Amino acid sequence: MTVIGYGLAVIGAGIGVGLAAYGGATATARQPEMQPKIFTTFILGAAFSEALALIGFVLALMSA
Amino acid sequence: MGPLEHLSGEIAHLIEELSGRDIWNFGWGSITTYSVWIIIVLLLVFAVIWVVKSRVSLIPKKGPVAAIEATVDYIRREVGYGVLGHKEAVDKHMPFLFTIFFFILAANLVGLIPGAKAATGTFSATLTLAVVSFVYFNYYGIKHSGLGHYIVNIAPKGIMPGLNILVWLIELLSLFLRIVTLSVRLFANMYAGHIVIGAFSILTTLFVFPMIQDFTLANLGGAAPAIGWMLLLVLMYGMEILVAFIQAYVFTLLSAVYIQLATSEH
Repeated sequence: MTVIGYGLAVIGAGIGVGLAAYGGATATARQPEMQPKIFTTFILGAAFSEALALIGFVLALMSA
Repeated sequence: MGPLEHLSGEIAHLIEELSGRDIWNFGWGSITTYSVWIIIVLLLVFAVIWVVKSRVSLIPKKGPVAAIEATVDYIRREVGYGVLGHKEAVDKHMPFLFTIFFFILAANLVGLIPGAKAATGTFSATLTLAVVSFVYFNYYGIKHSGLGHYIVNIAPKGIMPGLNILVWLIELLSLFLRIVTLSVRLFANMYAGHIVIGAFSILTTLFVFPMIQDFTLANLGGAAPAIGWMLLLVLMYGMEILVAFIQAYVFTLLSAVYIQLATSEH
């Protein structure tokens, strides 16, 4: 059950990280010279949506 | 299904191997294998930086010195000037951020050497790093705007009365969740990476093993999938080297962002 719960928690975070990567890739394609700044923004966005999956991971470990 | 029947047992053995073992237990605590690896990594970082520092010159060099110089330059430019902004803040906080970055990077990379353990692959170590970062940015936040002001400013301004208490509570919770997310992100990435690498190595060995024991044509054919697992293992290994750099960078970048949030005017 805990594994299923973790899987559910990851769906949203996966979509979030995917959207961040999509935005980063399109932005870099438009303005390659801004790549370092865009990469920083991408990492931040990915980190914040990834945090939700990490909380799910902790909860799954706690209830296991 | 011959070789695969041993897989779950071997994976359980691998997970057991990855948990730290006590070397010296003294009542209220113990020195584990991971403590030893932390000390090794600290000495390694100290030695490398010491040597590089004495070799740095105005004329650009090649090799390891240039690599470390480029890394320092990149972190100072992207994390320092990119996030912290002005020069005083960069000069003030960069020593801390560089310490965190090089320790995590070295620990991650040392963990990839077969037989060695990653100091960041245990939750206690990453939790300690996260708590250090948490204490650091809260200390500078309080120092910057005063204790009362800092506590009030956890919630953003401009929210209607009544609701702002709720927002403050949620923001307080998310402030403490930063410890959890910082530590679990690093730990989970390293731990999962090691389990995946270990699983591919085990699969390679399991398929090759019958051929070593008894060299027949049938066993030679049975060992063919091992080539695929070996290729996957090499790919994952390269991927883990990338992850080692990215996780060290992410931890440093997020620490810098938290410092910036705590010390900027609201």
